[in-house]
Order: sequence, then C-alpha cells, then structure tokens
Amino acid sequence: MNALLLCALLAAAPAAGETTAIVGATVLTVSKAGNLDKATVLIRDGRIAAVGADVTVPAGAKVIDGAGRFVMPGIIDAHSHAAIEDNVNECTDVVTAQVRIADVIDHRDVNLYRQLAGGVTAINVLHGSCNAIGGQNAVLKLRWGVDDPAQLVFAEAPRGIKFALGENPKRANFSAPGPRRYPATRMGVAEVIREAFLEAKAYRREWQQHEKKKAAGRGAIAPVPPRRDLRLETIADILDGKVLIHAHCYRSDEILMLIGLAEELGFKVRTFQHVLEGYKVASEIAKHGAGASTFSDWWAFKLEAHDAIPFNAAVLHSKGVVVSLNSDSNELARRLYWEAAKAVRYGGVPEQEALKMITLNPAWQLGVDHLVGSIEAGKQADLAVFSAHPFSPDARVEMTLVDGVVRFDRAQDLAARSAATAAGGAQ
Amino acid sequence: MRFVFLAVLLALAPAATAEPVVALVGGRVLPVSGPALEKATVLLRGGVIAAVGADVAVPAGARVIDASGLTLTPGLIDAFSGIGLPARPAGGPGGAATNAPDPLAAEADVLDRVKLADALKARDAGITTALVVAPDGIAGGRSVLLNLAGETAEALVWRQPAALHLHLSTLRRQYPASLMGTVAWARQALLDARHQQAQWDDYERDPRGKERPRFDASARAWQDVLAGRLPLIVTCSRLNDVRRALALGQEFGVKVVLAGVPQAWEVADLLKKAGRPLLVTTNYDPPRAAGFSFGGGPDEAKEKADIEAAERNPGKLHVAGLRFALVSAHGRDFVAGIRKAIERGLPQEAALRAVTLGAAEALGIDDRTGSLEAGKAANLVAWSGEPFAKDTKAKLVFVDGERFEPEDKPAAPGGEGRPRAGEEVAR
Repeated sequence: MNALLLCALLAAAPAAGETTAIVGATVLTVSKAGNLDKATVLIRDGRIAAVGADVTVPAGAKVIDGAGRFVMPGIIDAHSHAAIEDNVNECTDVVTAQVRIADVIDHRDVNLYRQLAGGVTAINVLHGSCNAIGGQNAVLKLRWGVDDPAQLVFAEAPRGIKFALGENPKRANFSAPGPRRYPATRMGVAEVIREAFLEAKAYRREWQQHEKKKAAGRGAIAPVPPRRDLRLETIADILDGKVLIHAHCYRSDEILMLIGLAEELGFKVRTFQHVLEGYKVASEIAKHGAGASTFSDWWAFKLEAHDAIPFNAAVLHSKGVVVSLNSDSNELARRLYWEAAKAVRYGGVPEQEALKMITLNPAWQLGVDHLVGSIEAGKQADLAVFSAHPFSPDARVEMTLVDGVVRFDRAQDLAARSAATAAGGAQ
Repeated sequence: MRFVFLAVLLALAPAATAEPVVALVGGRVLPVSGPALEKATVLLRGGVIAAVGADVAVPAGARVIDASGLTLTPGLIDAFSGIGLPARPAGGPGGAATNAPDPLAAEADVLDRVKLADALKARDAGITTALVVAPDGIAGGRSVLLNLAGETAEALVWRQPAALHLHLSTLRRQYPASLMGTVAWARQALLDARHQQAQWDDYERDPRGKERPRFDASARAWQDVLAGRLPLIVTCSRLNDVRRALALGQEFGVKVVLAGVPQAWEVADLLKKAGRPLLVTTNYDPPRAAGFSFGGGPDEAKEKADIEAAERNPGKLHVAGLRFALVSAHGRDFVAGIRKAIERGLPQEAALRAVTLGAAEALGIDDRTGSLEAGKAANLVAWSGEPFAKDTKAKLVFVDGERFEPEDKPAAPGGEGRPRAGEEVAR
C-alpha cells in the first residue's frame, strides 16, 4: 500500500525537458565502452545525452550522487505474466492468436513496482502456455504511477505472440473440465501449428486476390472484402514478419520440430522460452537465428524439465545464440541480476556478456535493442542504480529510472513507510 | 391458472367510457425537474400527468385523493434490473457465468425469460419502470424496458428490444474464458456484423449472379448497434473495464453506455470527457467469481475495501459533477442500495434524481418519464415519509395512471397490487 502512496509522489517526478545527471558512479554501460569508473550519465528529455568520465553537467541539471554506486541499463525480463487482469490463459482453444494481453493490462498491479525495486524497467508480458498458438504479448515499460494502462506500453516494440510446445498444450499435467482437447501428443501440437499456418496462408491469399480485384475494377462498385478473421490475420502477420514468436519449450526434440516447421512454412522463431534442453541443440537454434530465454538453474518441476543443466545459458551463448535470463515469476523478477551472476558462476560467461543476458540480449529478443539495453548516448534512459556491483550478494537497487523518470527510489520508499507508520498505519 | 382466472375477470370488467381523472391533493411534491412544492396537487388524466402545481384546479368529476402527509415523487426507474428473472447465479456481470441459454447470443431476448407476474412485485418498492437485463452470459441478450402496469407483455413493454448488452465477464468451459478472450470475442462479433452488412448490402443492390449471404441473427443484432439503432450497454466491474468499453466503442464508432462501474469515481475525469451515460451499481457486494489467481487466494481485505469503495462511489461521482443513474444491478433490494449511497455521502436529492430523471436520461426516455411534469407518463409514488428512509413505505404507486397500494395488497399471489374500488376520498 506504501507503493500506492509513493506512486502519487513519483508520478509528479521529472517532466520532459528536464536534465538529470548521475554523477561519480561506476557505469556498467553494456556497450563497447565497457565499465566506466567515476563517470557521469547525462539524461535529457528521457534519453541518454552523454555518458563518460569527462561529461560536464550543465547548470540547472538535477544531480543524483552516484559515488560508490553502480549504474547499469534497466533490466529487461523477456518472460513475465505481471499486470494481467483475469486469466493469463485463454485455454478454450488450441489456437488463440486473436486475444491480446494489451487488452487486459492492470496498470496498478503492485508487482510492477516491486519489480522496479529489482531494477527492472521493461517486461515482456506473455499469454500463458496452454495453447500451441497462444495470445499476443504486450511489451511494457514500468512507468509506475501512470493512470492509464496504455501509458505502460512500450510503443516502439514490435508485436509478439506466445507459442507453446510439449506438456502444457498437450495437457499432460493437469485436467481441464470437459472433453479432452486435441492435441494430446507432441506430434499433435506440431500438426495444429502446421494447420494454423496453412489456414493463414489461404486467408492471406484470399485477401491478396481481393486487393487485386479491387485494384482492377476501376470505377466499378468495390467487391465485398473477405471476412476479417482476427485469429488468422495475426498468424498471417507472423508470416509477414510483423509478429515475433516467443515459443515456450523444454525438450530438444520439440525445439527441432518447431525449427523444422518454421523452415517448411516460412516463418521465424524469435525466442525459444525456457528452452532447458537448448544446450543440446544450440547450433541449430543459432543457425535458425532465434534467441534463447532461459532460467539460470530452475528445473525438474515436471518431466519435460528434467534433463537440464545450469550451464545452459553458457553453452547457448558459446554457440552464438543471443541468450537472456528470465523470471516467468513476479517473485524472481525482482532479482534477475543474481540470475545473471549465475551465468558467470556456471560456465564462466564474462561479466559483460552475463549483464547482456538481462539487458541488451532480451532487448534484441523483443526488437528494441536499438532503443534500450545499454547505456549509450541516444538510447532511452532506462537505468538501475545499485548500491554495489549487481552481481554482488550485497547488491540492492537504490533507484530505478524509466525514460529518465525516477520510478523507484529506495530512500523515498523508506521515508514514505516511516511516515505511514508514524501516521498510525495509514493505508 | 390463477393468472388466467384473473384475466377472465378483467375482461368482464366494464370498460371506462372516459379517461379517468385523478387528483392527488395536499401532498409534498418532489417533481425532480423543479423545486419541491408543499401542499401541491398532481393531476393525472388517464395514463398521463395533466398538471403539477400548488394552484392546480381540480376538475369536477375527478377522483380526489388526500395526499397530505405524503411525499410524491416520480416512480423509480431501475435502469439495470433483474426483476422477473430467476435468482441470479454465482458470478453474473463481472464474474463467471454459465447458465445463460446461449451466453454468446446477442440476439436473445430477455423478454422471453421474464416472468411478468414476478416483475410486477418490484412495484411494491416504488419501482414503476425497469430495464430488465440478463445477468449471465457475455452477450447477455437484448434487454427490455418494462413499465409495471398491466398483466401482459402488450401492456408492460415500453421498449423492445431496449439495448444490446456486453458483460465484460468470462465463461467457464467455453470461449471466452478469459477477459482478453471476451474483448477479442466482442471485437470479432462487431467485425462480423459489419462484414455481414456489407455482404447483404451488396446482394440487395444487385442479387443477380450472386450467392445469397447467410442469415446470422447475432450479426443482425450487432448491426443495430453499429447503425446506432440500439444502444450498447457494457457491464464493467473492474476499473479498467471502463477503458476497455470506451476503447471498443471508439474502435467501432459505437457510443457505449457503461453499467456497473463500482470504481467509476476513480476515473471521473475520463468519464466526464467521454460523456457517456452511466448506470452506477448499488449492488455493492455482488457474488464474485473465483477469479484466476497467479499464486495467492482470495484477498478478503481487498474485497472489503472494494465493497466500501463501491458504497462511496455514487457520492464521489456526484461531488465530481457527473450525471448518472443509480441501478440495482441485480441486487435484491434496490431501495436499500440507494439508502446506502445516501448514507455514504450522496445527497438525498441527487439520489432521487439518479433513480428517476437521471435514469430516464441514461436510457433516453426522459422525454416521456422520469419527472412529475405535465405530459409525462403518470408514474409516481406517494411515500409515507422521506423517500428511501428506513421506515418509509410506498403508500400509493401509480403506473400509467393505474393505482396500486403496496401495503394493503392481499396475501394471495396473482391479485397483488390491483386497484380496489371505493377507496378514494370523496370531496
């Protein structure tokens, strides 16, 4: 509830046109510049104006003291289910490409604030894994305090969609009321995806023919357009490269299956999610050009998640796959920086590359790496200020900025808590 | 059987030769459209109000009723009601609903499900007019506007169909089983209606050489909404449902009416800007669906806070300067709900307006009812005291000029509330 109180405080924070400087910090740029000691990050109009040790702070700039602190790019969680109102899954059909997470965002979900407190600035909010082809995602920026869910949306992010393979779409681990849904096997899942794409191709052809007919019939009454089918339209958009696929998977055989289907039908997979057996088929994933968004060391929670190793991220990375570490959890999302640290521990991933796994790499996976994911002039000022190196067990987030606006401030939060307690446990 | 028997009796009763004139004399009159009048006269001619004022001459031959000590108001209008429908299942608007005949049949008529004899019981509480809305389903079917005098649909129905309904709710075992599914379903339904319209237009323009389009009753119903022939009332139980409803309306150029909206005051500015009619619930603690929860059970503290916030909602909307109707929203005791709103800050005068003229405005029937004005339907209530106060009773209820006495009704069902001869005070 303190978070709600703070939200009022923070919403009134920096407006556009303001200049902010974080001064004297160790800046982990996650770019070619590497780590910079006693450096300044200059923010103007929500973007990074300059970064370096010799940046002069203009008069009138709001200064944040970074002495002894570490600044890193805002953390990006490539697999989240936060801020979804009502059901995360539309489980009633095996293909539900028509539903959109963007329709059901709850901008007041306190998890958004809690994740800011873990340095997270953007999340990929995904439909659940109930269906072979699930709903469309929403990439959000954690602009906590806005009063309209639309203001959370990362507007520049391309559209995306959830796919799911294996036990969940075939419903191996749970029973839903009613008759058993097709498919009940992995081969069935493959077939369902193939059917959907073939149907979408036919649908696209129908529209193309219509457009041709319309163009040819100058002056005549325009022919009635075909029925718009939001489900098939979305799948056709995948074929046209407008929608990124984030495919939930565990086993190597199903990963190869989807790559095969993609090649057969002419679509691309942007990320394999979870992808615990990715290390077995890392070269194939790299060759397809897909990214991998995995857990650090979480597995064995079901049969298909047994043959996992903590070196998964390192192996995938070594084979040239763009790897991210995700949470799939409101709780784990608050300390993704330690998840990245595990990539150093297991497999010796260099620090910079491990940092990328929660910043620039997920940014690429969501199609926004030109805007966020590193601290470079021109990029959006999504930043996390840590008390120590983020891989240190002592690390905690002091401040999180989104588009240059302070959306979490630990000192302010603590002050608001004390004030609330002093006021006699106010709301 | 009793009903039939009664109907026979009525048929045998002698028909009135001239329009009966009734004068209610000496009461305190709250016309709603104007200031309160002490010791005023309300003159009814047939089913219409002939005059209201302190110095209205009572014509010879009028039946005079001594209303001194009584307070006369327009008949209450419940603009979102479940009268005449079976007791509501768990869920209802905003919750999971299962028992609608076809939860997606927009064209279903609620009139087919209403038990008129049951509906008439609402008159005892001073309700003279009600929009009867199915509580279940997603497309709840088309509502009917009833004026509660007479026995048959021919006499009772004021507008049929009155409105199309969309409950932002979910189904349990069929699509849509998630809120995002419901939004997607509605979007597709509207697209399909538009497509069908184009097909039929094209066919009717020149049927030669064309296959006849299929007839789709549901699409026809939605077409009425698209063409502005029928209002679309969207039931909103969550704060962001308001935005969802407005966005859907904007996407399809439909002017939606918002119903329920227990947290509407939080988006008062948005609602003011939108300028759409509001049917604000007085059913503060509706049955709640066991919603999907991603880790964590029901939050009782939050539920309690939600109920209290809903009780304060009407008062806060009033302070914010919004016009609205208060509705029972399938709550059992409408007047108790109104009383609660008054206890929680809504001025009594504003409450009266919200259930009379305000409700009529929201339904677009304020040209014919909602206030005590010459020319409007003779719907009024003579209260024993201050309207909505705990011990106040509706002593006399006039509907279409027909007189009913809730307190003196005989115990036997079927004959309740019928006017009995010889009770007028001769002067």
